[in-house]
Amino acid sequence: MATTNSMSISTLNSYYLPKSRTPPPRRSAYKPPRTTTTTVFAQPPTLAILSDPHVLRLAETLEDSIAASSSAASPPLPLQKLRDISSQSLLSTPWPSRKDELFRFTDTSFIKNSEIQPIPPSEMQSIASLSILGDTVFPNLAIVDGYLVDSLSNSSGLPNGVFVGPLSRLNSEDIMKRVSKYVSSFQGDLFWSLNGVGAPDVIVVYVPEGCKVENPLHLRLFSFNGSDKDSKTLPISNPRVLVLVEKGGEIGIVEEYSGGEGNDKCYWTNSVMEIVIGDGAKVSHSYVQSQSLGAAHVKWTSVRQESTSVYELIEVSTGGKLSRHNVHVQQVGPDTVTELSTFHLSIGDQLQDLHSKLVLDHPRGVSRQLHKCIVAHSLGQAVFDGNVQVNRDAQQTDAGQLTRSLLLEPRATVNVKPNLQIIADDVKCSHGAAISDLEENQLFYFQARGIDLQSARRALIFSFAAEVVQCFPDASVQKKVESLIRKLLDPALP
Amino acid sequence: MALFTPTFSLKSLTSTTSQRRRFGHSNWSFTARATVAVDAPSSSASDRGGAAPKLLLEVKDLSAVIADSKQPILKGVNLTVHEGEVHTVMGKNGSGKSTFAKVLVGHPDYEITGGSITYKGQDLVQMEPEERATAGLFMSFQSPVAIPGVSNIDFLNMAYNARRRKLGLPELGPIEFYGYVAPKLELVNMKIDLLNRNVNEGFSGGERKRNEILQLAVLGADLAILDEIDSGLDVDALRDVAKAVNRILTPKNSILMITHYLRLLEFIKPTYIHIMENGRIVKTGDISLAETLEREGYKAIA
Ligand SMILES: Nc1ncnc2c1ncn2[C@@H]1O[C@H](COP(=O)(O)OP(=O)(O)OP(=O)(O)O)[C@@H](O)[C@H]1O
Ligand SMILES: [Mg+2]
Repeated sequence: MATTNSMSISTLNSYYLPKSRTPPPRRSAYKPPRTTTTTVFAQPPTLAILSDPHVLRLAETLEDSIAASSSAASPPLPLQKLRDISSQSLLSTPWPSRKDELFRFTDTSFIKNSEIQPIPPSEMQSIASLSILGDTVFPNLAIVDGYLVDSLSNSSGLPNGVFVGPLSRLNSEDIMKRVSKYVSSFQGDLFWSLNGVGAPDVIVVYVPEGCKVENPLHLRLFSFNGSDKDSKTLPISNPRVLVLVEKGGEIGIVEEYSGGEGNDKCYWTNSVMEIVIGDGAKVSHSYVQSQSLGAAHVKWTSVRQESTSVYELIEVSTGGKLSRHNVHVQQVGPDTVTELSTFHLSIGDQLQDLHSKLVLDHPRGVSRQLHKCIVAHSLGQAVFDGNVQVNRDAQQTDAGQLTRSLLLEPRATVNVKPNLQIIADDVKCSHGAAISDLEENQLFYFQARGIDLQSARRALIFSFAAEVVQCFPDASVQKKVESLIRKLLDPALP
Repeated sequence: MALFTPTFSLKSLTSTTSQRRRFGHSNWSFTARATVAVDAPSSSASDRGGAAPKLLLEVKDLSAVIADSKQPILKGVNLTVHEGEVHTVMGKNGSGKSTFAKVLVGHPDYEITGGSITYKGQDLVQMEPEERATAGLFMSFQSPVAIPGVSNIDFLNMAYNARRRKLGLPELGPIEFYGYVAPKLELVNMKIDLLNRNVNEGFSGGERKRNEILQLAVLGADLAILDEIDSGLDVDALRDVAKAVNRILTPKNSILMITHYLRLLEFIKPTYIHIMENGRIVKTGDISLAETLEREGYKAIA
């Protein structure tokens, strides 16, 4: 890296971007001065050659919005660190193209061609009274357009020592130290870094050693601001959550994304969750995404698993015009258990994408992955890239991956790329990929018993999803998701 | 009309009704056996009270091909079934018996290229498979498919409610339905946990057959087409299944039964035996035809 000091995108922008303004003023006149950014360049950073003007402009927009909305007090150190690291990496990260292997099948031009508008926090006040989120019986946080809304949240009833809230309100020095260690210990892609620059705060979920949290914590993420379909603008929110479970601790997280009456509201949710699971600890992660069919939903889940820890992810994604979930699980000790069960449904002109990567570096890990998707529209698309790396020291690993896709319309598309990279020699690995339509013989069996074709199709489609839906540990979540899928499959139902 | 109309209460089904049926059945099979006569099928009816037996199914010169390959399988089948009759179709492997059964219930693998099928006075060919089913046509599959992800009881409940809708009756919720279906399990001697398993998934050969008959018990039928319900069953299971069929169907119901063996016919007495060969019914007779077959094989009747 060319600089060691923290820097901001805008300063670099003004040096290296072909702008109409005359260089080299560091800051254009209409921009408010910033208190937190120092910019000292010993030499012009050579990496700027790789900079993508579009990315830098976007990053600058996000930075400006953060600067304008944050209070005079400087942000907590970990947050500042996150912003710095993210800024730095954006300098050398171009907008992904279809030539990048990771975006080969995923066209992000919908986002690129839109004008991205950060949402200021002030607009949150007006919705504080709305009952948009429905009821939940669990301790919960309401995060609207990326901002925590206290009046809609209720985190009482959690055991002593558990902290759930924004980093800026974290008073414990010990926890702050732990958080510092892990905030952005991982590097994702462009969207990961954009989130790091644009996140107004970090929501911290901290579970101390040996603490088993009985009720799941419900994170209710709602997108309130949206633009009209033809406006070509996308209000962006950048929620960021860090879950840190110490040795022997346990918690269930229900992460739910919704937003937008009707289905043509446009916005961009660019969300990141980092999960650190200590020795023998367990995190059960339920993830439900049913955002507007006009929205972009980009999500990162990065998990770090220490020895004998357990991580299970159960995901159902049905919303978004462009929806991408990046799951990265890194094993940092032996005897871990990882279970990923995911279901994607493309019911309209939409793309559902899962990119998962499991890196096993230690002995006796067990991983089970099941990914299922349905594309039920001729313009619909599903993408699955499932990478499992079993490295040299990961002997006696037991890794299984299975993916099944259902294409229900003639021109529906699925791009499936299961890939197992196995370097260790004493391992048990299996994988399978199947793409099909509904089975004629099964449909006929229903008909032969008097059930009409449409009901038969619905039952088969529903049963296809049920294998994943049944994995949600909480019955109320399961029910909710079942009725969501039912409704999508048959809009005529109540 | 379906016989097992859901208006029966649970009690009457398990006690009085089944007793009546068992009794009625022994009468029925005896009658059937005594009245085998190829040219005068109506004689059995006179034994039962004089009224002429109603025509139920009439198949005329039916020919059918495999939809994909257009390969001819049925090459002019003729068959007439009246109410209360038990017809048995026998014939070598690959002669077209299952194809005939599947064509009757509207399987999409086959295309009808000639002839006609009339069921209860209606053109069956024009009816969707599910309409045929709700009109009282039931076929037990020779090899029923498994349906992963759909529980057996949900499947039965859906099918039963489809039947009830057709009859203009309110549908049964899962709990009411459970009350209705549980006693039927006894009838086919099936373990209750098979209800919660997925349809036919991991079922043994015998369990699949019993499950087919359970569906027959739940849905009822005016014409039950039973395709090799005896294959793969042990001796006791065969008796169970045959007994169940006899208890489920009353003397008014008709059966079209495909089998290779005489032993099933000892439990369910046929009115007629038909021999199918190369897509046609080439011979019709009484039980003695099956006895000859069992002793001497197909060359004896060629
Ligand atoms: N869907 C199909 N695709 C291809 N061939 C078929 C199909 N259905 C039937 N056939 C062929 O048609 C012929 C008749 O088959 P069918 O199953 O009706 O025989 P069957 O008399 O029931 O025999 P078995 O006694 O062995 O049950 C066989 O040669 C079979 O291979
Ligand atoms: Mg057959």
